[in-house]
Amino acid sequence: MSLTHDDVLAILKIIDESPYDEVRIEIGDLKVHVRRHGDGAALEPMQPLSRPPESPAQSSTESQPAAQASASSAAPSLREQAPTDDAAQPHLAEGLVAVRAPMLGTFYRAPTPGDPPFVEVGDKVSADDTVCLVEVMKLFSSVKAGVAGTVVKIAVENGSMVEHGQVMILIESDRHTADPAVQ
Amino acid sequence: MTLPIRRVFVANRGEIAVRVIRACRTLGIETVIGVSEADRDTLGARLADRAVCIGPAPAAQSYLRMDTAVTAAKGTGCQALHPGYGFLAERAAFPRLCAEHGLVFVGPSADAIEAMGDKLRARKIAESLGIPTVPGTDCVASADDLVQFGRRAGYPFLVKASAGGGGRGMRVVRTAEEAPSAFESASAEARAAFGDSTLYIERYVERARHIEIQVIADAHGNVVHLGERDCSTQRRHQKLIEEAPSPVIDEAMRSSMAQAAVRLVRHVSYTNAGTIEFIFDLDTRAFYFLEMNTRIQVEHPVTESITGVDLVAEQIRVAGGAPLSLAQQDVRFDGHAIECRINAEMPERDFQPSPGRIGTWQAPAGAGIRVDTHCYPGYFVPPFYDSMIGKLIVHGRDREDAVSRMSSALAAFKVDGVPTTIPFHQAVLAHPDFAQGRVTTRWVEDKFMTSSAARRISAPLRPEAQRSCAEGAA
Repeated sequence: MSLTHDDVLAILKIIDESPYDEVRIEIGDLKVHVRRHGDGAALEPMQPLSRPPESPAQSSTESQPAAQASASSAAPSLREQAPTDDAAQPHLAEGLVAVRAPMLGTFYRAPTPGDPPFVEVGDKVSADDTVCLVEVMKLFSSVKAGVAGTVVKIAVENGSMVEHGQVMILIESDRHTADPAVQ
Repeated sequence: MTLPIRRVFVANRGEIAVRVIRACRTLGIETVIGVSEADRDTLGARLADRAVCIGPAPAAQSYLRMDTAVTAAKGTGCQALHPGYGFLAERAAFPRLCAEHGLVFVGPSADAIEAMGDKLRARKIAESLGIPTVPGTDCVASADDLVQFGRRAGYPFLVKASAGGGGRGMRVVRTAEEAPSAFESASAEARAAFGDSTLYIERYVERARHIEIQVIADAHGNVVHLGERDCSTQRRHQKLIEEAPSPVIDEAMRSSMAQAAVRLVRHVSYTNAGTIEFIFDLDTRAFYFLEMNTRIQVEHPVTESITGVDLVAEQIRVAGGAPLSLAQQDVRFDGHAIECRINAEMPERDFQPSPGRIGTWQAPAGAGIRVDTHCYPGYFVPPFYDSMIGKLIVHGRDREDAVSRMSSALAAFKVDGVPTTIPFHQAVLAHPDFAQGRVTTRWVEDKFMTSSAARRISAPLRPEAQRSCAEGAA
């Protein structure tokens, strides 16, 4: 059983037209695993899967956002400022647990400016450890790790805005490292 | 003055969010929209330059959070925020919070919202300017007050929420026996909907038309009115069809209503777009000030159609400190426009909302036809918000022409997957009372829904139901 280039293209086309984010095909020992948003492009976390057709009443300027028309500066465009696919990832590699923002707000790594951060990459955490703060209008909510493990990534810049549900920190769960069979 | 507006935060959803994004495009302004988890797939999220998730689906945790909206707007580098209509649009605290954080609120000042948003206060201001208001009382404290009023002035009358709108916290009292339950339910409803249970009494106009004047004012003291809209086709105080101009008033009446509206607006130093609503008594030909809406309204497109003014773009310009782009003498009225609100509802089941996934979505298009919507084929209408899925607006030479265009456009509007109010609108447009402009604000529930025309309305079947019918017939 082998796949030709055309077979792969056909599979990709089917997936592209399907509502699914991720497809695994296993035939014997052949495994194909395709996932959307995996190319590192700065995608919106909320990219609908198929573009709704533009209504006939829409003017042709609709397809040229002002952002592009006026993009003369080197500043990142609005779309590029959106969380990268890493932060928006609905599916994580096995064993990784995401700490997501409980609300939209400002992400802080330390209790107060000048203090050492709650956690650094490589730190061991237990489920009840505070790993960061999210602030909305001077109201600070502390966010717990939620799982025992090792911090593998801080996905957000200190002091930047996080959306509701955005991945802020990735933790590799101890349960996974102890028992790779656990997913 | 403030920074020039280069990026606007859209603090709303649905068709009005799309409308604001389009207005920003015409002005060359970028947009960021705040979406709930249920709205990640909506057209607004596609069209905006950026979408940020502001919270879970329930509005109380997303669209009704001022702190989140302002944080999101500041965090994405917006200079201004547009509240649309509904949600936070008429909360005085919202422009205050925006101002504290250096954000331009696209709407009136907090003071103007406070003055006009409270129905009792607004009535007093209108009376002080000699503008007629519906006879009534200031404020009632108990069911006993209702009985006293009934004894003095007779029945029926209305008991209304001072902070109200959209027909919530409102009851008709026809007899002394009805007073206690009307008082209880109206104040409970008012407390639940507006956090304020203050009630007042208003005389009940038996044969009323709802006529409103659109105004827009800038920060330089210019106030312009854009004529009237007639929104008499309502059901339980929810507007269903709106048109401009009104078929029941003449030039003299139009002019005195518009003058009253402009006087009110000037008196409270109002800026931005606003609407002054009047009740027009068909029997006495008198008009009474009802209330003011301190925001853009759902039915603004009918005014845009006959005047050629882009009201939402104008809102953003004046919020940024620019003078109005037109003076009163520049306002011209051309032809007649009608809007039908298309809702995902079942008219034959008491207009019960019917959310779900839209299958076919073929909106009509062509000369004189406009569709404002956030829907598309395959769009899932979420059950969390109001049931409006679009607005169909037509513009014709005169009323007759507009009615016939609307009938054809409705017939060409194909939606399946969710039942809609399209068949209801078709039946209303075909009714002689509508054609002859004889509709009153209670015509839909009192006359139309009990008629044989209404009994023939049934929402189109869902595709699977159609299939099983076909199989049954085969």
